[in-house]
Amino acid sequence: MKRSYRIKTKGMLPAVLLIIAGLVYLVFPNTVLSADVDALVFEAADLHYRGYIDEAIKKFEAAVQVDQRNEYARNQLGLLYAKKGWFDRAYQEFGAVVNIDGNNTFALKWLGILELYAGRTDRAYSWLSRIIQIDPDNSDAYYLIGTIYNFRHNPAMAVEYLKKARDADSEEPATHYRLGQAFHNLGMVQNAMFEYKKALEIKPSYTKAINGIGWIYYSQGKAGEAIAQWKKTLKINSKDRDAIFNLAKAYNDMAWHSVRQGRNQDAVNYWKMTLSINPGNKAAKYYLTQYAKR
Amino acid sequence: MERRDFIKILSRYVLASYGLMLCPSIALASDSDELAFQGQERLNSKKYAEAVDLLKKALEMDPGNHWAYGLLGRAYTGLDKRGEAVAAFRKAVNINPEDTFSRMMIDQLTQKPIPKTQQKKKAPPGPEQKARQEEAAALNRISSDSGLGYKVERVVIDAGHGGFDSGAVGLRGLKEKDLTLDIALRLHERLKSEGKIKTFLTRTGDYYVPLSERTVIANQHNADLFISIHVNASTNRASSGSETYYCSAKASSKEAMKVAELENSVLKYDEGFKQKAGFFDFEKILRQIEQRLYWRESGKFASIFQGRFKQYLPIKNRGVHSANFYVLRTAKMPAILLEAGFVSNLDEEMMLYRPDFRARIVEAIARGLV
Repeated sequence: MKRSYRIKTKGMLPAVLLIIAGLVYLVFPNTVLSADVDALVFEAADLHYRGYIDEAIKKFEAAVQVDQRNEYARNQLGLLYAKKGWFDRAYQEFGAVVNIDGNNTFALKWLGILELYAGRTDRAYSWLSRIIQIDPDNSDAYYLIGTIYNFRHNPAMAVEYLKKARDADSEEPATHYRLGQAFHNLGMVQNAMFEYKKALEIKPSYTKAINGIGWIYYSQGKAGEAIAQWKKTLKINSKDRDAIFNLAKAYNDMAWHSVRQGRNQDAVNYWKMTLSINPGNKAAKYYLTQYAKR
Repeated sequence: MERRDFIKILSRYVLASYGLMLCPSIALASDSDELAFQGQERLNSKKYAEAVDLLKKALEMDPGNHWAYGLLGRAYTGLDKRGEAVAAFRKAVNINPEDTFSRMMIDQLTQKPIPKTQQKKKAPPGPEQKARQEEAAALNRISSDSGLGYKVERVVIDAGHGGFDSGAVGLRGLKEKDLTLDIALRLHERLKSEGKIKTFLTRTGDYYVPLSERTVIANQHNADLFISIHVNASTNRASSGSETYYCSAKASSKEAMKVAELENSVLKYDEGFKQKAGFFDFEKILRQIEQRLYWRESGKFASIFQGRFKQYLPIKNRGVHSANFYVLRTAKMPAILLEAGFVSNLDEEMMLYRPDFRARIVEAIARGLV
């Protein structure tokens, strides 16, 4: 009797353990789940940060399957879907997060961006305004609204919002650059210069700000200083299209100016400079040949 | 103690002292790590305030200890001081960008508004006096319209082709470059006299301006609209009428594609710059949004423009089309391209020769714009 009883217990042990585990799961489901989800989320985040988008998506999807209310996992999943260009799926994830917690400003921001991407500016504006209601110091929301106004060629409103973005977070070079751009568009070059320089103080390699400063100089008739700025950009990024074309334009302008003053040799030299920067510049190629003959 | 053991201990001591003299940071680091380790123990036993004190001390000893910063972030998270936690995690990531946990924590904590910390915000940079004066003066005169609608106040007029690039040539010798320049100059004068719209020209004479430079000019002046003036040509002499194009990734028809190919053909002389497959980032999305917005506005504007234009010009209306025109694609504003008639059509070429017909084209464009 005794022996047979012992044998039975031994055979039942795994089953008993399974039942105990099941009971623990039933009594403390969150403890068990959260351990699984945390591990999945950490793995997924690590994959994401290391650039393994597809693998990260799979892990985050698994995490969300286990814990549908994990706002971080869903937000990251939305972000990854957006990176893959799956904007509808991204929208669904961010929408789900906002349904879980309407104060999740990260999800609200991305809903705004996706609306903007789809061309629904008014709806984007409304999501972003909601962020400001929740968090009046949210620099991203002010930045995006200011940028929308910049895109709509409404620099006065852009200045209004971008100044708020700058005041909420003055360490972002893009904010200073876009604010500078809005001031520049309003013809307020002192302010534009100030903001471009601020952007460069934070990030000295911010070439857009350098190019903007170049245009301020160029419009003030200081072509030499403008050229120096655009060359500075090319030292940072030798393939910067804006700087290449700006320089090409400046040299071509100077060449024509020389022609009008009867200084053909100077013009030829300027066209040579154009070609040294932009070797495919058809105008410089043609006129260099023409005027070199004269 | 045996003599041998004594010498051993002494030599260790001497070596350690010598090491400390050479690399004092090793000693600091190990002390800092030791404190951080103690901080971690307090953290594990949920004594967050004590952990913060120990970790701060560890960081005073070694400000480059990213591990201690990560732990400090966790301790602050335990105290629900999210602002301080984010700051600590940021420091950890700045020192060690591969610190996945700290990066993840930043992303998690910044999903929702963070209560302000006193140290977090720096005073916004105050503009210099000159800039302040300029701002005060300018903002008084600028009436800001808070609507999201698109406003057209500055227009860049682009006379197609020029110089050695004559564009299409009619049977009677009418050159597209001459016609477009004449129309552009007249339009510039017409709009200048009206004063509602400020205009800029991409060329003022018979010289060639590369396509890349034309959009640089438009971007330089931050124009609200770029209008490129052209006349069409076809192997089919019967083809006639005006049409307006805007940019789209795909052409709206085979014919539209052909027109774009014709107008882009000059590109074979300009160096091809391909956009490099860049890293996906926030600013890149904004650039894409900007371009899509301008293309969409261009489409809307092209329809309105062509609708008005056809009312003032007695030639066939060929409608609105889209295609991938280089000169439209690179403009940072809505951009349209007008084909004001067919130079390859004998009747239209004759009309296009006449100054009164050109004046009508100018009038039609002006009314289309305003």
